[in-house]
Amino acid sequence: MPELNLRDYRDLFSGYTELRAQENRTVNITFVRGNNTLNSRSSTGGISARVYRSGSWGFASHPVLSAENVKAVLRAAADSALFLDSREKKNRGPLPADPTTSESDFSTTRPRRSQKELVEFVRELDDHIASAYPELAGRTVSLRCLDMEKRLLTADGSYARSMIPRSFIYVDLALIRAGQPVELFDVYGGLGQFEEQFSSPEELFEKIAGQHRHLVKKSEGVFADAGLKTCVLDADLAGILAHEAIGHTVEADIVRSGSAAGGRIGQEVAAPLITMIDYAHSYKGKNCPVPVLVDDEGTRAQDAVIIEKGVLKSYLHNKESAAHFKVAPTGNARAYQFSDEPLIRMRNTAILPGSSSLEEMIASVDDGYYLIRASNGQADSTSEFMFGVVLGYEIKQGRLRRAIKDTTISGVAFDMLKTVSMISGEMNWMSSGMCGKKQLIPVGMGGPALKCRVNLGGR
Amino acid sequence: MEKPTEIAREGLAALLGAGAEKAQCRFTQTTTDELNVDLGECSLLRTTFDTHIDLAAIKDRRKGSTSLNRSGGPALQEAAAAVIGLAAASAPDEAHEIAPAQPAAVFTAGASRPDRDKLYSRLKELLHEIGARYPRIMVRQAILDFTRTESALVNSNGVDFVTRKGIYRASVFFSSREGERVSSFNITGFSSRDLERSLLECGSLDTLLRQSTEQLVTRPLQGKFVGEVIITPDCLGDLLAFLSGAIGDGPLISGTSIYRDRLGKRIAAPVFSLHSRPAGGEICDGYFVTADGYAAGDLTIVENGVLKSFLLSLYGSRKTGLPRAVNDGSAFVVDPGETAFEEMVRSVKRGLLLARFSGGVPGESGDFAGVAKNSYLIEDGEIKYPLSETMIAGNFAEIFKSITAVSRERIDFGSALLPWVAASGVTVSGK
Repeated sequence: MPELNLRDYRDLFSGYTELRAQENRTVNITFVRGNNTLNSRSSTGGISARVYRSGSWGFASHPVLSAENVKAVLRAAADSALFLDSREKKNRGPLPADPTTSESDFSTTRPRRSQKELVEFVRELDDHIASAYPELAGRTVSLRCLDMEKRLLTADGSYARSMIPRSFIYVDLALIRAGQPVELFDVYGGLGQFEEQFSSPEELFEKIAGQHRHLVKKSEGVFADAGLKTCVLDADLAGILAHEAIGHTVEADIVRSGSAAGGRIGQEVAAPLITMIDYAHSYKGKNCPVPVLVDDEGTRAQDAVIIEKGVLKSYLHNKESAAHFKVAPTGNARAYQFSDEPLIRMRNTAILPGSSSLEEMIASVDDGYYLIRASNGQADSTSEFMFGVVLGYEIKQGRLRRAIKDTTISGVAFDMLKTVSMISGEMNWMSSGMCGKKQLIPVGMGGPALKCRVNLGGR
Repeated sequence: MEKPTEIAREGLAALLGAGAEKAQCRFTQTTTDELNVDLGECSLLRTTFDTHIDLAAIKDRRKGSTSLNRSGGPALQEAAAAVIGLAAASAPDEAHEIAPAQPAAVFTAGASRPDRDKLYSRLKELLHEIGARYPRIMVRQAILDFTRTESALVNSNGVDFVTRKGIYRASVFFSSREGERVSSFNITGFSSRDLERSLLECGSLDTLLRQSTEQLVTRPLQGKFVGEVIITPDCLGDLLAFLSGAIGDGPLISGTSIYRDRLGKRIAAPVFSLHSRPAGGEICDGYFVTADGYAAGDLTIVENGVLKSFLLSLYGSRKTGLPRAVNDGSAFVVDPGETAFEEMVRSVKRGLLLARFSGGVPGESGDFAGVAKNSYLIEDGEIKYPLSETMIAGNFAEIFKSITAVSRERIDFGSALLPWVAASGVTVSGK
């Protein structure tokens, strides 16, 4: 990202102002059935300013980082704030301030691989899949890397510089059974640039073998039986449950618009086994998938304890919602592109581990399902959630039986969390997806396995 | 403001100068004025200016591409050199190609600049009308924007297209609240060349707001049955997204599309006809040029139930040996049927008015399961009551085949023109 000292423009700020320079860089290499359909890099960056005036906001952005454009976006954002304020006249007070300075750079220190080496890596993985599993009807292998680099200066004195990268390899395998395609995808990778996540294709062979074994069983699978069922949700699903079912309902802007979590601070909303936290940057001394030290309003990011032993403790805040609720901001204001304004977003939302083992949880179910991998999810203002399940098995008399076809589970989050009766001891993180809320944003989701009762879609 | 054609030509020259045998450059500059409502009040006026350059080159049957949003200084030359490097790193593929020469053209649609005061007054008017007509509605977020795009696409075969487009777009995200009761959220959107009509008159907004208030009181369904669904225009997009995905490059190149052998054959009931019409003016928020450098044409995808075209790009077409589509899809128009919506409801013995589907993205087989949101139970020809905690399951491909009626009425979303569609064979399950 081009260098430009944001502090040189501090005197041009009018009222509460945020000035942010940002660049997002991506790598995307895709092989579809052996064809190198995509080999691309992209870079999107620029400068933006946001100005607050008595409860109204103005925002402006420009793709070219130059002194002239910094002045132009500061002026345009201030003009827009004035345009709105002159009509809305909200007369709101100032936003809370707690100035901080931070530098966080998660770039690799290892030698960087060339694009040609990256293409070769993906091709080797694809060649291995083609030769090891010749019966596959389709296979797609993609490498997707994202570096998010930001510099932020706020009028209340915060300055932050960050570089948060992530790298993932997506593997989608398909078989044709009885004329119908049956697919199963999996994702490998996480926080860091490519060199931090991957060293050789061979390291992934065993994981892909496991993915293939599940796919073969899924191709012989059955439709789930619809209705309210006892299920063991593996960590992958517990993470998305934490994010979709609870996390969105406690985002303070959603709370203010009428979410089911509104007015329930201090109330029991889950079984006492449940503790859930939106971690800012680290868990037990290790980096979370999306470590946020300072958010995009310049607030030092703090862990937000959402549920503690079943009791709802707090919401997720930006400066404006914190002022409304008369609490401290939690550092949840995040923007995806340079041209996006910060919104209240989760960071690394997780249900904390318990003390059971996965094996004893499965053994305790007489008739139910073990659900392993989720796809997309969504939460409602009513706290009714759903997410897609692309891998699962029947449990009969405590033992795994047939695989099931793709299905969806749903429930009312605060009702469903009261049915949690066992929690496993592991903590697994996933972070390959993007959360959507006007803008996309990378998030981390974590959890152990949960035994609970949920509605299962089926026939 | 920069000059798109000059920059696109500069990018093309840089690619050819760096060693490309064939090359394409597309330069786009976008200015957006966006007014946001959060929690029922105007909160943010956002003005963004952005540029975007897509560079692609083929050399020795190898292709590389990159995109960036800066064109000044040495950025273009550096990006062109990087593209040649990417191409050299790629695997060779005979299917890589660029569009052939076509007559140069300039496409123009919509206004060149927004009326900022009108943006504000239309949004305030909407909030006022909602407050008066639907006092229990909470507008969680509403966005009204004007986006002006100027784009130039050139390639080394002589393609030279310019597009200038201005469009207003709105989206409204809302739920209802009364005391402790909260309804499911709903969301809709629409596009328009101007702001002559009040926003409440556009798309399906007024109907969905009224329904949201009704949905403060819902009932869960008991038991399970296989019945009919009337799919609303807002929800029909999910079905069309499945179909357009299944007949696109990915599944057809991969060989896993369930429609791979169905061109010219029946895939839907005869009452169903689907077109993609981005360029003809019927869809105001369409497009004029495809991503691979062709002037976009209008296209019939399904005619009286028969699959007439895949949605293959130039690369996908060369890879599969199947015909290239004359556009990139979307801008969907479904022909109206002969049945009034009320008549469709009267013909349902037991089923759902399906207004929003919240479920796992269906795989290529089309099997789906999810929650019927903002939806109603229909029994004995009458809409009975709004539902909660009701799941549906079935297969999208089978739904197309089981369509029993298409409504006379359609909703014009600006980006699509869609009717209500009735189909059978969906499993509905409650608690």
